[in-house]
Amino acid sequence: MILARVDGNITSTVCHKTLRGWRLLILQGIDEEGRETGDPVIAMDEQGAGIGDRVFYTTDGSSAREHVGDEHSPLRNMVMGIID
Amino acid sequence: MRLGRVIGRVTLSRQDPAFRGARWMIVSPMSRPQLSQPGEELISKSASVVVYDDLGASRGDIIGFVEGAEATAPFERPTPIDAYNAAIIENLNYQPAS
Repeated sequence: MILARVDGNITSTVCHKTLRGWRLLILQGIDEEGRETGDPVIAMDEQGAGIGDRVFYTTDGSSAREHVGDEHSPLRNMVMGIID
Repeated sequence: MRLGRVIGRVTLSRQDPAFRGARWMIVSPMSRPQLSQPGEELISKSASVVVYDDLGASRGDIIGFVEGAEATAPFERPTPIDAYNAAIIENLNYQPAS
């Protein structure tokens, strides 16, 4: 799991079929003090995280593919929870 | 999945039969400076990536590409692919908190 901050979102209709209908957030990895680490990544979200929220996301593609129910899905990052 | 700007194309004279019908895009990865000014097409300091594309991305598009094992997931048979175009981005809403 990686700690991150939600910095935005994207929309895409021309995409892999397993991405359709999913909220796609721009996540910025942060350390405990909130300093930015690394480049922003895109993650699927069904927790309803909003911009500015701190979340943690998984980079384990196999759990994401299982969740989507399609082993041919190119998904890896998925928001697992929102931090209060 | 990472964001990147399509800055060019690569055509191969000979290639693995598994790649038939696909195109290869040269993509410059987008980090915070590029995301803050999407209209500027700033080229990233990090290396460009050659991305397999079967969605029909064109020069100047922003795409979401995946790398590593996930790049080979969409294929029936094991295919030697490093980066796969998973999405052509329509709109980009980037409002970093800092």
